[in-house]
Amino acid sequence: MSGQRVDAKVVMLGKEYVGKTSLVERYVHNRFLVGPYQNTIGAAFVAKVIPVGGRTVTLGIWDTAGSERYEAMSRIYYRGAKGAIVCYDLTDSSSFQRAKFWVNELQNFEENCRIYLCGTKSDLLDEDRRKRGIDFHDAQDYADEIKAELFETSSKTGQNVDELFKKVAEDYVQFTAFQEMTEDKGVDLSQKTTPTYFYSCCHH
Amino acid sequence: MAADVHKKGGDVPNGSLVPKDGRHAERSESPTPGLAQGTEPGAGQEGAMFVHAQSYEDLTSTENPDATVQIPGGREDAQSDQTKIEEISKDFSKLSTQLTGIALDLEEEMRQSKEDKQDLSPKASRRDSVLSGKEDEGVSMDAWHMHQKHVFVLSEAGKPVYSRYGSEEALSSTMGVMMALVSFVEVQKNAIRSIHADGYKVVFVRRSPLVLVAVARTRQSEQEIAQELLYIYYQILSLLTLTQLNRIFQQKQNYDLRRLLAGSERITDNLLDLMARDPSFLMGAARCLPMASGVRDIVSTCLQQAKAKSLVFAILLAKNQLVSLVRKKDQFLHHIDLHLLFNLISSSSSFREGEAWTPICLPKFNSSGFFSAHISYLEQDTDLCLLLISTDREDFFTVSDCKRKFQDRLKKRGVYQALLEALHTPFYSVSQVGIPFLRHFIYKSKSSGLFTSPEIEAPYITEKEKERLLGLYQYLHSRAHNSSRPLMNIYYTGSHENLLAWVTNAFELYVCFSPLGTKAAAVSAVHKLMRWIRKEEDRLFILTPQTY
Repeated sequence: MSGQRVDAKVVMLGKEYVGKTSLVERYVHNRFLVGPYQNTIGAAFVAKVIPVGGRTVTLGIWDTAGSERYEAMSRIYYRGAKGAIVCYDLTDSSSFQRAKFWVNELQNFEENCRIYLCGTKSDLLDEDRRKRGIDFHDAQDYADEIKAELFETSSKTGQNVDELFKKVAEDYVQFTAFQEMTEDKGVDLSQKTTPTYFYSCCHH
Repeated sequence: MAADVHKKGGDVPNGSLVPKDGRHAERSESPTPGLAQGTEPGAGQEGAMFVHAQSYEDLTSTENPDATVQIPGGREDAQSDQTKIEEISKDFSKLSTQLTGIALDLEEEMRQSKEDKQDLSPKASRRDSVLSGKEDEGVSMDAWHMHQKHVFVLSEAGKPVYSRYGSEEALSSTMGVMMALVSFVEVQKNAIRSIHADGYKVVFVRRSPLVLVAVARTRQSEQEIAQELLYIYYQILSLLTLTQLNRIFQQKQNYDLRRLLAGSERITDNLLDLMARDPSFLMGAARCLPMASGVRDIVSTCLQQAKAKSLVFAILLAKNQLVSLVRKKDQFLHHIDLHLLFNLISSSSSFREGEAWTPICLPKFNSSGFFSAHISYLEQDTDLCLLLISTDREDFFTVSDCKRKFQDRLKKRGVYQALLEALHTPFYSVSQVGIPFLRHFIYKSKSSGLFTSPEIEAPYITEKEKERLLGLYQYLHSRAHNSSRPLMNIYYTGSHENLLAWVTNAFELYVCFSPLGTKAAAVSAVHKLMRWIRKEEDRLFILTPQTY
């Protein structure tokens, strides 16, 4: 698992209890665990191979803890990330404010990282429209403003989850292809990371 | 000290067997001469893995600085008021069983002896006993009152940080009272340690900037409860570091620490649950998964070979039992740090998915900084969990690679299956020892910091019975390690079982027999048991620990 080559680092960010781990669970293992809430401790890493247009891309997904306690070390998790999935709970407007915090953080420190805004728990809205805490158009406007893609997902039903990660992988492929065309030299993927990062994981 | 023992020995009421036997031991009628440390069964052949630690070392070592703060004087008061205190304590204790009676008297003795030594004015503690009546105000639910032990953590500003039961908000006034008690005594340059009233012990541990309070009606001694509170304190440090904790409260005295600890309540709850049923905490030692020494040695070698520059400790464990531990040369782990790691892993099932990489502080190793811990299960459906502690938070992929190398080596050398088989029998039956009337025992090798213990079998089937047995061990342990009058040999006769404790420089042994056995039989059984442990030691302990 860990010995695999990782093409693109993807980081999950967002307030605690918005469902980042459930989203990864659904995508990687295609399951939804019902049970008492367990907060993530530190961060969890998992790699997933995804086919994109005739080739495969390995996403190295960092599922970070939303707790404030870990905020200070969040940089090590998003540094060098190609994509960041910034999650908020569709029924909790405070989580959207927190998402904006993460977007600012990324814009300041990781400008090459593509941002994907993800409203989670959309199944709760299917039950009761009035539960929506953030207007879709407001979220869309914000996404446009920061040049991000917007997704509304449900890890419980699986709605839009595969689409989200597929988009992340496709953008990565497109982006690197574009770079290869426009630059004489090959892309140095480890440009933004410490060299040991990629050296060690590609080396076996 | 010796004079103290005699004086106190005479005072002990209710002619129980325990103190008599204590004096018995002083005439050194121990069954066999104690072994020298390092040669006892279970002692590592190439040095230990852990820091050498004594029971209640944190309590005894950190109490001294407190003592310097306290004003001298009141010593004569202490002498004259001693009898009054005893009377008061008797009034308070509505005791049903003889055992709790003894335990409480012991409490009283310990408290007094501490007061004697440290000039803690008994007037203050008596006043506190009176004040304690007010504590129950404001809490109405019956269920809440029924719990055996409450644990509260608050900041020095009196803000709630953690409560074992009930919401912190609802308890903020109770916590305010607790802080008031602490400050009230501190104003007089004194320190409140405990209140004993109505069968309850209220124990205070002050570790600036936090105050920890337990309200218990268990049989535990004050020292044991204080030790548990310290574990909670260290648990909080392991999440934040002492440096960060101090900085936060220096900047803002009335900071609500729950913000930073959000989501960690489960870990703390789990720690308290674990302490109530796992003797590791009482023993201050780790239990090893029993397995053939050949297999364990190969596993340790594989683990040692999968090294990286930044790795300090590599620990393989299964269900809170140690399989193997490799450490950097000259770096020793403290058993408290190991217990906190065990607790972290057992409190969350989320480590089964993927690989976790988390900052963690090992407070006894270094309370000012974070290590990075790589936590993963070898396979999703086994209980084998690998813990790799690195100094470099950027080193995830290198450390992750160590795990892969370790797994590859295990399979290549053909021990993985043997390892899985050892997991099927995590405990051995006491019947293997072949001693009639023997029900259970705990044996700790002091030099290796490891202990062994068979499965708890009938009649201790229910959780309640298991906890009762642990409670008896706790009682014996507290008598053996009583700071004013330690005992080497204890023989305890109860209506449900007889217990024997034997503590030497090299080992500690606590044995539980059926109530039908005799003392003479128990003493000779201990010899047989020691021989059996010696014979099995390479299976029950890690005798050849590895280093990087």
